[in-house]
Amino acid sequence: MNDSMSIPHLIMSASTVVQLVMLLLTVGSILSWIVIFQRTFVMRRAHRAHRSFEDRFWSGVDLNELYRETPTEQETQGAEHIFRAGFREFNRLLAKTRSPQAILDGVQRSMRVAWSREEDRLNLHLVFLATVASASPYIGLFGTVWGIMGSFQSLSMAQQATLATVAPWIAEALIATAMGLFAAIPAVIFYNRLSAESSRLLGKYEDFAEEFHSILHRNLQGRAEAGAA
Amino acid sequence: MARRHARVGYGLPTLLAVGLHVLVLLVSIVSLPARDTEPDSSIVQATLVSTETVTDQAQRAEAARARARERQAEEQRQAEEEAAREAEAAAAEEQREAEREAQRQAEEQAREEARQAAEAEAARRAEEAEQETRRREEQRQEEEARRQREAEEQRQREEEAERQRQAEEEAERQRKAEEEAERQRQAEEEAERQRQAEEEAERQRQAEEEAERQRQAEEEAERQRQAEEEAERQRQAEEEAERQRQAEEEAERQRQAEEQRQREEAARRAAEAADQGLDRAIEGESEAVANAQQGQEAANDFIALVRRAVEQAWVIPPNVPSNATAVVTVRLGPSGELFAASISNSSGDSAFDRSAIQAVEAAAPFAELRQLPAAVQRDYRQFNLRFRPGDVSS
Repeated sequence: MNDSMSIPHLIMSASTVVQLVMLLLTVGSILSWIVIFQRTFVMRRAHRAHRSFEDRFWSGVDLNELYRETPTEQETQGAEHIFRAGFREFNRLLAKTRSPQAILDGVQRSMRVAWSREEDRLNLHLVFLATVASASPYIGLFGTVWGIMGSFQSLSMAQQATLATVAPWIAEALIATAMGLFAAIPAVIFYNRLSAESSRLLGKYEDFAEEFHSILHRNLQGRAEAGAA
Repeated sequence: MARRHARVGYGLPTLLAVGLHVLVLLVSIVSLPARDTEPDSSIVQATLVSTETVTDQAQRAEAARARARERQAEEQRQAEEEAAREAEAAAAEEQREAEREAQRQAEEQAREEARQAAEAEAARRAEEAEQETRRREEQRQEEEARRQREAEEQRQREEEAERQRQAEEEAERQRKAEEEAERQRQAEEEAERQRQAEEEAERQRQAEEEAERQRQAEEEAERQRQAEEEAERQRQAEEEAERQRQAEEEAERQRQAEEQRQREEAARRAAEAADQGLDRAIEGESEAVANAQQGQEAANDFIALVRRAVEQAWVIPPNVPSNATAVVTVRLGPSGELFAASISNSSGDSAFDRSAIQAVEAAAPFAELRQLPAAVQRDYRQFNLRFRPGDVSS
């Protein structure tokens, strides 16, 4: 009796559909936890990188030097990525046109693209977490309903409706729901937390883009006046 | 220059996630079986309904009990072996608590009866002894009275003799006085005739008479003394006899007291022996009861196991009347394997009977039989199982 009611035994003796459901939920749970860990590390690193870049940016260093510090082929992230995209576009346009408005438009467009890439990078796989969080309870419920259907079918075939004939079926059916909840609950919690963190980071990037835009604007304005004079 | 690595890899998160799941699995395996023990027994017990017994064991126990009850009516001497047999009956029977209680009460009653009987016996003996003493006392008194009467008679006879003797002496004295008077008259006549010459003779005669009188007085005194002596002797003899009688009576009394004491002692010892016998019987019986209880607990476990196994293997055919009852006689081998299962009391529904036999065959072998005590094992090699659509009972 003890053996037949233990969880591994129940899982092994369950019907195929319920076993598939449980397998799916297990995989979903493992993947969601992988996403949770990976996103947590990414967010923490992005925070640290943003802080250090802002320090350097506002330390009074020449923007050309800052731009040259990083080799062009190296991929950058976050605010630095936005800065490099904007500055590169600014330098290129400065050589071709004299209209400050055209330059600023081009810089802004290029920075928006960079920001959009950053947003995409930060929100990567968070949708998967959301999917697991919302779908796995239903999947588990499906497994439970299927298992209870099976138990009632076996009950109709048995002559004696004892608790012992029904109990294993119901137990293994309920295990499916338990696993669905086990996968869904951490997914929900960490989806909320990670998405909030990513939107905060994206807000910071946006702020930085605006500030950088105003610096470039100031710079262009000075040059135009100097050229006119 | 903070040159950071470009991306966060997936290796470490995967490792962490899998590790977390394995940990959760381990925790569930380790902790859940411990919690499972409580519900599983209740699942099984839900089908355990009847505990009634139909084994011949119980019938034998019933018979033994009836016999024991008959024997209880007998004398206290048999109380001991009766108790032993009752203990045996107790050892054999199936649902004992109430019955054992009843038996114990019966035994107590028996013991009480025995004690009462012993007491009554002792009292009766004491009474007999009392009566005996009283009777002997009466006899003795009678005897004494008789002896007194005899002594009285003897005394009267002696007095009578004394009186006669005195009367004779008186007559003798009168006769002598007459003779004396005659002689005086003759002497006077003689003196008349020989007055002077015979004064001498008269004196002599007087002297002679005097001497004669003295002699007679002496004789008289002698006789009186002898009579007195005789009386004295008789009195002494009587006293002696009285003393002897008293001594005899004393001895008799002592002997009786001794007898009485011995009788009482014997009665007391008999009562003690009866008590001790009862005590021994009770001790032996309680021991037997304890042994029987042990064996019986194991046997009850075995019966419950068999019942549960059969219950779980039983598939009731459809459309069986709810009051159908089939009794299956099961014979087991020494190690619990099934020798034979046969319908001893059919339900009238052949499908139902077949399902009952199939249930027993499916549930066999009952290897738990070997765990029973050897003495009980033999009794449970054959038993009956009663099948009803509601449950299975043995």
